[in-house]
Amino acid sequence: MSVATAEVLSAPEFRAAGTDLSERRRSGLSCGSIIDLTASPDTIGIAWNEDGSARIGALTAIAAIASDARLAQAYPGIAAAAQGLATPQIRHMATLGGNLAQRSRCWYFRNPQIACLKKGGSDCPARAGNHLYHVAFDLGPCVAPHPSTMAMALLAYDAKIVTDRRSRLSITDLLGDGSDGAADNLLAAGERIERIELPAPLAGERALYKRAISRTHAEWPLVEICVRAVIERGVFREVHITAGGIAPVPLRLAASAAALQGKPADAATIAQAAELATSGAKPLPMTGYKLDLLTGLVRDLVERLAV
Amino acid sequence: MSTTTINGRVESLPDDPDALLIDIVRDQLKLTGTKLVCGAGVCGACTVLVDGAPVASCLMPAHAAAGKAVTTVEAIGAAGLHPVQKAFMAHDALQCGFCTPGFIVEATAFCDRWRATRGTAVPSREEIGAALSGHLCRCGAYDGIFRAVADACAGRFDGDNVAAPRIEARDKVTGAAKYTVDINHDGQLEGLILRSREAHARITALDLAPARAIAGVAAVSLLGDDRIVRYVGEPIAAVAAKDRKTALAALAAIKLSSERLPAVVGLDAGRKDGAPVVFDKASRKRAGNVSEAAGGPAPWKQNIRGPTAVFSTRAKKARNWVDEARQANNKLLVEATFRTATQQHACLEPHAAVARFDGDRLTLHASTQQVFHLKEQIAKRYKLDHDKVRVIAEHVGGGFGSKASLGTETIAAIELAREAKAPVRVAYDRQEELSVAGYRPAAELKVALLPSDKGGLKALSVTAHADTGAATNSTIAGLARLIYPAEAKDLSDFDVISNLPPGAAFRGPGGPPMAFAVEQAIDEAALRLKVDPIALRKRWDPDPNRQRLYDWASGLELWRNRKPAQNGRYRRGIGMATGYWLYLWQPNVKVEVAVKGGRIVASTATQDIGTGSRSVLADTIAREFDLESADIDVRIGDSSLPEGPGSGGSRVTASVMPPTLQAVRKLKAAILEQATRKPAPGSNAPWRELIARSPDIAVTETRGEDGKNTAPGIRSPLREVGLMGMVFGWMMRRFSNIAVGAGVPSSVQVIEVEVDTWLGHVRVINVHTGIAVGKIAAPALAHSQACGAVIQGLGYALYEARELDPTSGDVLTAGMEDYRIPGIADTPEIDVHFDEAGFDHVLGNSVGIGEASTVPTSAAVANAIHDAIGVRLTEIPIRPDRIVAALKGRDAA
Repeated sequence: MSVATAEVLSAPEFRAAGTDLSERRRSGLSCGSIIDLTASPDTIGIAWNEDGSARIGALTAIAAIASDARLAQAYPGIAAAAQGLATPQIRHMATLGGNLAQRSRCWYFRNPQIACLKKGGSDCPARAGNHLYHVAFDLGPCVAPHPSTMAMALLAYDAKIVTDRRSRLSITDLLGDGSDGAADNLLAAGERIERIELPAPLAGERALYKRAISRTHAEWPLVEICVRAVIERGVFREVHITAGGIAPVPLRLAASAAALQGKPADAATIAQAAELATSGAKPLPMTGYKLDLLTGLVRDLVERLAV
Repeated sequence: MSTTTINGRVESLPDDPDALLIDIVRDQLKLTGTKLVCGAGVCGACTVLVDGAPVASCLMPAHAAAGKAVTTVEAIGAAGLHPVQKAFMAHDALQCGFCTPGFIVEATAFCDRWRATRGTAVPSREEIGAALSGHLCRCGAYDGIFRAVADACAGRFDGDNVAAPRIEARDKVTGAAKYTVDINHDGQLEGLILRSREAHARITALDLAPARAIAGVAAVSLLGDDRIVRYVGEPIAAVAAKDRKTALAALAAIKLSSERLPAVVGLDAGRKDGAPVVFDKASRKRAGNVSEAAGGPAPWKQNIRGPTAVFSTRAKKARNWVDEARQANNKLLVEATFRTATQQHACLEPHAAVARFDGDRLTLHASTQQVFHLKEQIAKRYKLDHDKVRVIAEHVGGGFGSKASLGTETIAAIELAREAKAPVRVAYDRQEELSVAGYRPAAELKVALLPSDKGGLKALSVTAHADTGAATNSTIAGLARLIYPAEAKDLSDFDVISNLPPGAAFRGPGGPPMAFAVEQAIDEAALRLKVDPIALRKRWDPDPNRQRLYDWASGLELWRNRKPAQNGRYRRGIGMATGYWLYLWQPNVKVEVAVKGGRIVASTATQDIGTGSRSVLADTIAREFDLESADIDVRIGDSSLPEGPGSGGSRVTASVMPPTLQAVRKLKAAILEQATRKPAPGSNAPWRELIARSPDIAVTETRGEDGKNTAPGIRSPLREVGLMGMVFGWMMRRFSNIAVGAGVPSSVQVIEVEVDTWLGHVRVINVHTGIAVGKIAAPALAHSQACGAVIQGLGYALYEARELDPTSGDVLTAGMEDYRIPGIADTPEIDVHFDEAGFDHVLGNSVGIGEASTVPTSAAVANAIHDAIGVRLTEIPIRPDRIVAALKGRDAA
């Protein structure tokens, strides 16, 4: 093990529920000290502001987000994303903050015997190796997709993150633009997420979430998207589409959203917007299929939203 | 120090921040019903309730349970079985049982929640599937689990009735069943294995002294005398220490230097000219074996061993006819190249062994498919008297072929126990289990199939290259000889050896890949000949067992109502395929049936790996005596019992049933002879009375030859092959102690799929599986096996693939989230049809079901997908990436 790798793996880590960390402790990917997070009224639970907007504590369980009726009403994309990730047992334990700050699921990163950028190594072994489940938007040196489904959904809602040091961070402020292959997020050492603040929902807005996987449940997404829009008298307004599983960070599908904005909610418009979902894509040799899935998902969800 | 309440008792929690809840439950409290499998929250085997909610105890920090109430499977039903437990028992919703405690914990929580809010409404399959989506079962017991959970929710198991077709079911649903990984002797050490980081290297120095310098650590070398490692993960040394943490430190202390050798990885690179050679001539005997029997001689050049072509007939003719047809642009000639993926056994109980010496006596608990043979192998290897070695496997958490040899876990446990003078457990972790514990080799199959002008089968050519890693002896193409007679067949098998872990036998070795290719070629021929695919098989495949299955299949409503090709996003299709396996049995198998203390006791040194061997024996004997199965004590899983069969080659039922029936006959006569009092006239349980009053009597019988009188068309398939077949059969018997019997266990499946053409997702909707393996010895368990075989076949068809780093050969799919086995929600409706004729020449009329029943599934799925989307998928698994690529290819064409 190189010095750089040993140093990276020995960094102290926060622990919320431990659903990611425990596995990395067992495999030797995390060897530093553990700082257990304990909930305070400010860091757990869902609270509502007078304007109808919500704050979600970082230590709120994913299952609590998935089953909250008011949240599902106000922010259906966030509730659906929480319902769709992992397994019932994991959702019961895992927290929102932990989901945002979890480490990569890349199979090279997870193998303690293999060096990689996220372990202090000098290059990405997946790029020249086997990257079947990796990015189709090659935005930086590391080709692992960001694992956080909740980040992808929160991006569609322009959520802001409050840490113990900073407030009003966007998802992009938190996770970066993918150009830093060493990190899964841009939190400073010792900085912890405290809560997530959501803007008030728009009148009449709707949203859907879906992941493309090979089996029925309990699989990391090949591609996942969240579509959020207001449809007013048959015309798309306030369209937000975000995607996960395809880039080092959750992506906004700006070209697709723009193609829908102000246009009639008809099949031709939707098909055209779906084609634009892959604008700017740079697939790897093994990940071209993800672009087909991305197009299919956009078409699927926008059509269903427009019904 | 904080505390938690576990099953109602207050327990203290350790200060170690890395202690996990499962460590407290299993290691501190010895509540071994909770199982550690994936260590990653994927499989759910470790599920416990914390304040009533199911959680993954393998991920939950122990201290997070402070002040909470933890319930393990042992406490569920402790004061009377929960309806879910009774339902699992009644519906046989389990096989090997290793995943069962996790399912029980989750399902009871679901059922209690459901009953509290929904009364006795019946949950849908979708609701059950979503609720249990955090659990995996490798045997594929999902069909029974659906029925069990639905019925328990509906209140159908609220009463006191507990009936179970599987006789050890109660132990499995309560967590009482002990597996090898659960064995815990006083002073037992934990063993770990140091494995190669290089794909190919010479170990120039191995210094175990620094490891041994750690207090209480034993260490042994596992290197071969040539000191060469040939794949990432090859064992180098092993250590044992008081706990895993110390053992890890000991592993890290070992000093190792090596000289890297050129390496080659995989099927395509391995067969390139000039590729680095994995086994030179002197080291070839070190190669592993991917078949159920020993291999014959074959040419071997560099990394290519083959062709093995003994099952060809008029091969040159076949090649010439195919060449001519190609040149003549014969539209009936079907030619294609198929690729199948490496399939991991992924047993939920890992390979594990616990060795203990008492003086010169060795007791080995092992997760093995062959207690008796393993004892003999150990005695031979370590030059021990056979009566000084005892191998025990009370319960085995899955095997599927991967636990049928003397493995590293056993060697390491024995040698460490000897050195440490203490019992040692070696249990693979999931990474080891999914990388170095064996697999079904991937293969490339080139197929040419030529119908004759008269609509017969003229020529069949199959050339198979198998990706066997550091192993040999793949037979895939050769299996195409024993089905669809043709005027000429050119069948060649090659092993492509490379610096990858050795493959192993896996449920019908060679059968599923052969079927995937040949059954699609047959399907394509039917399309071109414009003949119904079942009718064509009926014409080309004269086997009487399958003829009956074809009649059954062609009468299915699903088949009769096939729809023409569709357009649109979702497209449905129906496909079918055929499979077979040899009827194998093991000579010299002995079964003792005895009266002991007024009860019937049956004993033989076989084992139950989830297939139901215990229940087959109990049911068979109970029927003969007009008793309940629960009245029979079955002793298996112990090599000190009379010689029993290995659980491989679907041979257990056919090996134990005939001697059991013979022994029962003799025992009956002996009981009657010694009876001092006849049963009361008109007694409805005369044998019960006689047995209760009988003195102890024991009868042991040996498996004899089958009757020579067989039904028309029922012959040994090897006889059809002529002299080479006879030689093959003789070799199987001489070197592998397996006899090939007359008649062919067969399976025909009809499958309906729906393809989502936008997202590349394949949903299997309906499966009909018709199986001809003679009389069904234990119907509920055979049903479970039949469904499990389909589910494992669906995994092979749609999800499962070992992925590698192409240069180092590191197995990247070494965790359960990346190696994707089917979940409960992927399970279709499965209709099982047993055709019970065909084996009247076997005493008891029954042969094994395990392998024949899984052979056709991947081909039937591929044929159904072709029916749905008009594109033939020639590579499995048929994942979304392959579906979208195939559709694009068609659109582009």
